[in-house]
Formats: sequence, structure tokens, C-alpha cells
Amino acid sequence: MASRPKLSGIQKQVLTLYRGFLRTARLKDPEERLRIESVVSAEFRDNARNVDRRNFVYIEYLLRRGKRQLEQLKNPDITGLATLEVKK
Amino acid sequence: MAAAALRPAILRRIRLSPSPPLALAAAASQPHALARWLARPMSSHDAHLTREEVVDRVLDVLKSHPKVDPSKVTPEAHFEKDLGLDSLDTVEVVMAIEEEFKLEIPDKEADKIDSLPLAIEYVANHPMAG
Repeated sequence: MASRPKLSGIQKQVLTLYRGFLRTARLKDPEERLRIESVVSAEFRDNARNVDRRNFVYIEYLLRRGKRQLEQLKNPDITGLATLEVKK
Repeated sequence: MAAAALRPAILRRIRLSPSPPLALAAAASQPHALARWLARPMSSHDAHLTREEVVDRVLDVLKSHPKVDPSKVTPEAHFEKDLGLDSLDTVEVVMAIEEEFKLEIPDKEADKIDSLPLAIEYVANHPMAG
């Protein structure tokens, strides 16, 4: 990337979602917070590496899924995230 | 109204101390310190943060990010070009700065902060930074 291009709308949405997760994680117990942060950060980085940046349909899907998960996580009764590894 | 009648009564009970009493006591024992204390800049947020302090603490936040090489951190550094951070790292760094200074930076502002000068500027101009 030469001289930082402006972020596209969809990139901004991804970053806003990431920020939303980190903000929400702050509200949980310190231990849970660390776990949420590491799960969320791993997920975003993994997708950033592996998803074709032109595959808008899939990225939009991931955004929608992420927003739904974030809404659930905001519920104070929810203390953490669990992930299921599906072996490919 | 009852509330209006209560007001002076309540106000009489509340005593606002314009300064931390400790500071006064300490200042009184040293006359020059008292003069300095009286001559301090009078603004709503004078009490704590000097610009140097903001710079130091922002630098420290950057240096403690796992992906950053502390030797590259300068007050002029750009997150991406100089420190090699990507956009997700940048979100993390700006959030860490928020936490360090007990601020909440709105998304629109946070999106613009991509370098140390901008981060320092933002914090230094923020009345609530503590």
C-alpha cells in the first residue's frame, strides 16, 4: 500500500465492528476480557489474511454475522464467547 | 415551588473547596511554591496534564503494543509507515490511548488518528483527559 489510501466504506465498517467488540470486552471481567480480545482479534486477523478482499458478498455476510454476535455479547448476562473449531 | 425554597438551604450546606486542601497545606510550608501555585494557569483542566506528560504517556502506550519496536517510537511517528502497524493494530492502539487517558473517542474521530502527532494533539486538546 503506497501512501495510505483512504479506507473504503466496507473497511471502515469492519474497523468499527472491531472497535465495538473491544469496547464491549472492556465491560466484562478482566479474565473474560482477555479471552474475548484474543478470540476476536484472532478471528479478524484470520479473515483479513484469508478472505479475498474483492469478495464483497462474503465480507458483507461476515459483517452481518459479527454485528449479531456483538449485540449478543453486549448483553450483560453474557459473560463470554465460545468458539467451535470446525476442522476443514 | 418547594424546590426553589430548598435551594438556598442546600447551597448553604455545600462547601466547594476550590483547591485540594493538601496542596494548600504543602504550598504554605514553602512560600515560593505558594507563589507558583497561585500563578498556575487558570483553566478548567489545568490541574493534571502538561503537554510533555501527554507525549510521554502516548509514547509509552505505543511502546507497549506487542507489535511495535519501541526503538522506532518517536513523537512524529506514523502508525503505519513508521511503526508497521495495520488498520486493526491502529484500532487497538487508539483504544489503548483511550484507556490510558480515560477517554472515549468517538468512531469518527478515532478513524482519523493514524499517527502519534494526531494522537497527541487529540489528547492534549481534550478537556477530560486525565
